[in-house]
Amino acid sequence: MTPTHFAFSSAFILGLTGLAFHRSHLLSALICLEAMMVSLFIALSLWTMQLNSTNFSASPLLLLAFSACEASMGLPSLVATARTHGSDQIRNLNLLQC
Amino acid sequence: MSPLMFSTLLLALGLGSTVTFSSSHWLLAWMGLEINSLAMVPLMARPHFPRAVEAATKYFLAQATAAAMILFAGMTNAWMTGQWTIEMMTHPLPLTLVTLALGLKIGLAPVHAWLPEVLQGVDLTTGLILSTWQKLAPLALLLQLPHGNSPLLIILALSSTLIGGWAGLNQTQLRKILAYSSIAHLGWMMVILQYAPSLTLLALLTYIVMTSSIFLLFKLNNTTNINALATSHTKIPVLTLFAPFILLSLGGLPPLTGFMPKWLILHELTMQGMGTLATITALTALLSLYFYLRLSYSMSLTMSPNNLLTSPLWRLRPHQPTLPLAISATSATMLLPLTPAAFLVR
Amino acid sequence: MLKVLIPTLMLAPTIWLSKPKWLWPTTLAHSFLIALISLTWLQNLSESSWASLSPIMATDSISTPLLVLSCWLLPLMILASQNHMAKDPSNFQRAYISLLTSLQFFLILAFGATELIMFYVMFEATLIPTLIIITRWGNQAERLNAGTYFLFYTLAGSLPLLIALLSLQGWTGTMSLLTLPFSDLAPLTPYTSMLWWAACLLAFLVKMPLYGVHLWLPKAHVEAPVAGSMVLAAVLLKLGGYGMMRIMIMLEPLTKQLCYPFIILAMWGIIMTGSICLRQTDLKSLIAYSSVSHMGLVAGGILIQTPWGFTGALILMIAHGLTSSALFCLANTNYERTHSRTMVLARGLQVILPLMAAWWFIASLANLALPPLPNLMGELTIITSLFNWSWWTLILTGAGTLITAGYSLSMFLTTQRGPLPPHILALEPSHTREHLLIALHLLPLLLLILKPELIWGWTA
Repeated sequence: MTPTHFAFSSAFILGLTGLAFHRSHLLSALICLEAMMVSLFIALSLWTMQLNSTNFSASPLLLLAFSACEASMGLPSLVATARTHGSDQIRNLNLLQC
Repeated sequence: MSPLMFSTLLLALGLGSTVTFSSSHWLLAWMGLEINSLAMVPLMARPHFPRAVEAATKYFLAQATAAAMILFAGMTNAWMTGQWTIEMMTHPLPLTLVTLALGLKIGLAPVHAWLPEVLQGVDLTTGLILSTWQKLAPLALLLQLPHGNSPLLIILALSSTLIGGWAGLNQTQLRKILAYSSIAHLGWMMVILQYAPSLTLLALLTYIVMTSSIFLLFKLNNTTNINALATSHTKIPVLTLFAPFILLSLGGLPPLTGFMPKWLILHELTMQGMGTLATITALTALLSLYFYLRLSYSMSLTMSPNNLLTSPLWRLRPHQPTLPLAISATSATMLLPLTPAAFLVR
Repeated sequence: MLKVLIPTLMLAPTIWLSKPKWLWPTTLAHSFLIALISLTWLQNLSESSWASLSPIMATDSISTPLLVLSCWLLPLMILASQNHMAKDPSNFQRAYISLLTSLQFFLILAFGATELIMFYVMFEATLIPTLIIITRWGNQAERLNAGTYFLFYTLAGSLPLLIALLSLQGWTGTMSLLTLPFSDLAPLTPYTSMLWWAACLLAFLVKMPLYGVHLWLPKAHVEAPVAGSMVLAAVLLKLGGYGMMRIMIMLEPLTKQLCYPFIILAMWGIIMTGSICLRQTDLKSLIAYSSVSHMGLVAGGILIQTPWGFTGALILMIAHGLTSSALFCLANTNYERTHSRTMVLARGLQVILPLMAAWWFIASLANLALPPLPNLMGELTIITSLFNWSWWTLILTGAGTLITAGYSLSMFLTTQRGPLPPHILALEPSHTREHLLIALHLLPLLLLILKPELIWGWTA
């Protein structure tokens, strides 16, 4: 395991841990998701750099575009949840538990 | 939602899964999954009810996490072995990670908790899409993975059949019951995945047929909880008489279609010398059979006028197309004689 | 086989296309014709005892009597259900007869199958029609509970059987009943082979039912409508006995040691269920427990695996099938008049329904195994072979016979003799339909005295 590999893996796992265990605001969950995506972006860019070929150079941008789409789907659901549930606390999302 | 928007979303839903089916590269597979789930979220939030919004948010969180984990696993594999191909994911660590992530995406048991709640929040048509079409892409990835002889899949499968049966027992909401039934059926697909992947496909196919007939039946009936089922005899008498067969077919009783995948899976497991596992898996199916039986009791086996718990609904002729229901209900009950013999003769 | 199976399938258009007024007569005539055609199976001229062989189905001397019995039962069930189905809408009546017909279809396929897997699938397939008959057309709210017990007892017993059969197929490569007795089993570890033995027998012992796993049976019998009780007592329990006879041959070397607890349970069950019958107040429950007691004798006869034991078991199964079905019909005639299953509330009926009392008399005597009847032949054969196996069984079987005689007579005396309670003075007289129904049960029983080799199985 190279140091780079260790660095982005721990960044991703930190983001995942935050998403899984820090359940207060929906916004923080979205930020954790974003952190995961950014760590993946860094990993993919480094992979391209290490390969020294142009074959892969478009892929970090594709990933970034998709993660932007994902964020743009996450923020409206944050807004919609805030409008229907009154706040963005995750523990308010309890209508469906029965 | 405007028809243009709606059809775009449906197209994107189809496009995402198709991209995943046709990809051999993890990045492309991940893109397909993302397109698919990003198109699904607005479809779920389409009615602006708090429940629908909540279901969409929960679905989004689960799917985005699972997708990120899948890409992370692909990336780890690439850094470790230099391979981006799906079928070349040979390192055990990313393999385990991606199996768990795909399990989260389809709702296998230890990571299943989002599925019942999400399904409870959406309407029956979206629920049908969620429990059939949305399973296809992750299952296609699972089928391509080089599972060695991993106990992980067996653990996932057994806990799915067990939890899917057990947690469905005390539900009164039909969509939650169907979600737990979906979890149990996914467990049956997983248990055979590493031994005979074609049986997984067969089980998936029969599950899709059976579950779409039951979703369409509930949609025609416009019911979402057990109590409201009792009035179905006044609305659709013939289908009400037919409903126990569909339900028991989901439960896997011979001579209905649902017995076919269970029989073949048990056959294959016994052939592989895992009689104990086969027995346990077969016995956990009894748990889910109990709630199917309860559904058929309250739907058609008790006399409808006797039930004082529900007030009869206003009766209108249902103006929904019934041909899909007719086809799927017939094939959900009568396909056992068409069992492919190739699975039995080896 | 097809000349019975295709007319059975053709009952479906008869049921759904005939006019409501003619529904019962046409289906009765049609099914009775099928029953008459099925009698030709009894003329078995083959040396190897297998006849009417086709790639998937055949009859032999132990399946033929049961096949004929299940064909014979369908017209009787239709005849018995006419009165209590009369108030249902005609579509429900049609669905009901269709379920009875599908039951007969599955039963013929089960008894006629030459493949164990085919037998298993059809054995399970009989569950769904029976379940629907019990839970849809039963009378009390407890019927749902009874249906659940019925389904889950049977399935929990028979899922291990499926695994056992599939592994048997893995070891021998065949499932055919014609070749399996001649194939060797692969050497197993002792532990596995014991589990396999238990899995093979448990399903049938639950279906039979063995004492200890019998709790579903009285519930199902009490809650089922009359046709459900009839087919359950007459044929469905015999599926268990038939399956045991078929699979016993494959289990050969193990059975000698492993069968002791099951024989003891069966013998002890005869005494226990007989004693339960002695203090039973519910008429249908009494008949159901008497079935458990008789089937315990059958289980004992099969488990010791002697030719006489098998013959006796087959004779007793056929005779008990006809007798208990007749008793359920008689109980139903009482139930339709008094609307209660409690025996104390319907005493002294001989005064009002004298001819019915004669039928009750013959049926009770058949139940307690009066000398010339096939019931006695079966019981005596089983008791003799059990006695040959171990002297001590005579205590249990003898006491069992005594108790059977006791509760049969007490049932007869309670329902027929004595003073008539004043609240049932205005009972409906008995119908010709009911007399015909009981006569069609008891005539075959009496005629079998003249030619018992039809039901002797392999011994004949």
